Amino acid sequence: MLLSLVHLALAALALTQQVDTTVSVQQGQRLVVDAYGGDIDVKTWARNAVRVEADAGSRTHVEVVTSAGAVRVRTEGHRGPPSAVDLRITVPVWMGLDMSGVYTDVTVNGVKGPVNVETVQGEVDVTGGAGLVSLRSVEGAVTLKGAKGRIDVHSVNDDVRVSGSSGEIVAESVNGEIVLERVDATSLEATTVNGDVGYDGPIRSGGRYELSSHNGDVTMAVTEQTSASVTVSTFSGEFESAIPVTLRETRKGKRFSFTLGAGSAQVSLESFQGTVRLVRPGAATTSE
Amino acid sequence: MSDQWTDRLSEYLDGELPPDRRAELEAHLRHCVACGAVLADLKRIVTRAQGLEDRAPERDLWPGVAARIGAAAPGSRRARPSGAPRRRWSFSLPQLAAAGIALMALSGGAAWLLRPLGRVPLASQPSPAATRWEARQLPGQGDGGVLAVAARPRGERSYDAAVADLERVLEAGRGRLDTATVRVIVRNLATIDSAIAQAQRAVAADSANLYLNSHLAETMRRKLELLRQAATLVSSVS
Repeated sequence: MLLSLVHLALAALALTQQVDTTVSVQQGQRLVVDAYGGDIDVKTWARNAVRVEADAGSRTHVEVVTSAGAVRVRTEGHRGPPSAVDLRITVPVWMGLDMSGVYTDVTVNGVKGPVNVETVQGEVDVTGGAGLVSLRSVEGAVTLKGAKGRIDVHSVNDDVRVSGSSGEIVAESVNGEIVLERVDATSLEATTVNGDVGYDGPIRSGGRYELSSHNGDVTMAVTEQTSASVTVSTFSGEFESAIPVTLRETRKGKRFSFTLGAGSAQVSLESFQGTVRLVRPGAATTSE
Repeated sequence: MSDQWTDRLSEYLDGELPPDRRAELEAHLRHCVACGAVLADLKRIVTRAQGLEDRAPERDLWPGVAARIGAAAPGSRRARPSGAPRRRWSFSLPQLAAAGIALMALSGGAAWLLRPLGRVPLASQPSPAATRWEARQLPGQGDGGVLAVAARPRGERSYDAAVADLERVLEAGRGRLDTATVRVIVRNLATIDSAIAQAQRAVAADSANLYLNSHLAETMRRKLELLRQAATLVSSVS
C-alpha cells in the first residue's frame, strides 16, 4: 500500500513541470508574457534579472526566451491549447511589461515602467506603472493604483477603477462603473454606457475633463476654488450641485454651461438619463 | 452665444482669422461660456478626427469596406504628394455637428475595422472615410443644425455595412469563442443597442441638438469598437 502511494506521488511529480528560471536583463529590455490560462503575478526586486516560476502540467510547456529587446515567456500546449499555468514573475522595477492571456488574471505590483495588459476572462490589478499604461479586459474588472503617465483602462463587462494616479487618462466600460479617486488628471475621458462615472481629484488649469454615461450618474468633485468652464448635458436626467452655480446660458435639451472661478479648465459632464452631480471632495466616488 | 461668433469658431480653430478678428473673438470667449462650450465641442471633434488611425487594413475586410466608403486602395492610401497641403478641418457650425456623427461613427468604425490586431495603436492621420465624408446642407435650411439629418443617410449606410461585416466575422467565428465570452459580448451589444435606440429616438425628436447627435455617434462608435474587439478575439483563436 505504502509503495503504491509512493509510486503515485512520483508519477504526479513527473507530470508536473517545475519551472524556476532566472535570466539577466539590461535596461531597455521588456518582459513579454503570452499566457492562455491561470494567473500572472508580477513583482519587483532590486536585481537586474527576471525570475520566472511556474508549476506546469505535463501537457504544457513554459518557454523563456531572451533576446536583445525582450524576455519572452510563453505557455504552450504539447497538443492543443495549454492548460492553466500560474506564473510568478519577478522583474526589475524599471522593466516594461507586455502581457496577454485568455483565461488569465493579471496582478502587477511595483513596476515603474510601461505596462500593457490584455485579457479576456480575467481581472487586471496593477499597482505602479509609468509612461504608457494600457490595461484591458473583456469580462473582468480593471484596477489601477499609483500609475503615472498616459493611462488607458478598459473593461467591457465590469468596473474600471483608478486611484492614486496621475496623467492623461482614458477610461472606458460598457457595463460597468468608472471610478477615479485621488486621481490627478491633466486630461480625462471617462465613458460608460451602463454605469456610474465619478471623478475625485484636482481640476487643473488648462485641463480637459469629459465624463459621460448613458444610463448612469456622472459625478465630479469640485470646490469653491475650482476654476473651470463646465458644460452639463442630459436628455432626461437631472442636475445637482453641492456648491452654488450661476447658469449663464441654457440650451434646448437640458444643456447648459456655467463658470467656476476663472474657468481655466474645460469640463464636460454628460448623462443621457442619469443625474449629473457636482459634489464636495470625498463624495464623488464610493470605494468598495 | 452669438451666431456672429459661432460662425467664426471653425476659422478660429484653423488659425485663419485675421489678428484683429482673432483678438475680438478671444475677448468674446472670455465672457461667453456658451461659445466656449461650442469651441470645446469643436476641438473635441477635430481632436478625435486627427486621432483616427490610418493603418493597413485587414485583407479580408478591406475591399468591401473600401468600396462602401469610397476609399482608395490600401497601397495608395498613405501616399501624399510632397508639398501637398495638410488636411484641413474647416466646417461651419452645423456642418461640424454632422461631422461629429460622421467622424465618430463612420470613420471611427472604419478606423477600428482597419486597425490591425497589433496591440499598440499609432496615432496618425484621419481615415480615408473622414476625408471623403461630405457635408451637404438641405435646401433652404440655414445654420440650424439640421444638417446632421441630411448627412446621416450615407454615414448610416456605411455604418450599417461596417457593423454587418463585423457581425458576420463574429457569427462565423463564434464557435471558436468560449460560450461565456459570447454571452458577455451579446449582452453588452444588447446594452449598446438599447442605448442607440434611445438616442435615436431622442435625435428624431430634436435633430438640432448637438449633444444628442454626438451622444448617438459616440454610442454607435462604442458598438463598432466592441464588435471589432470581438472580431479580434475570433481572429486570435483561429
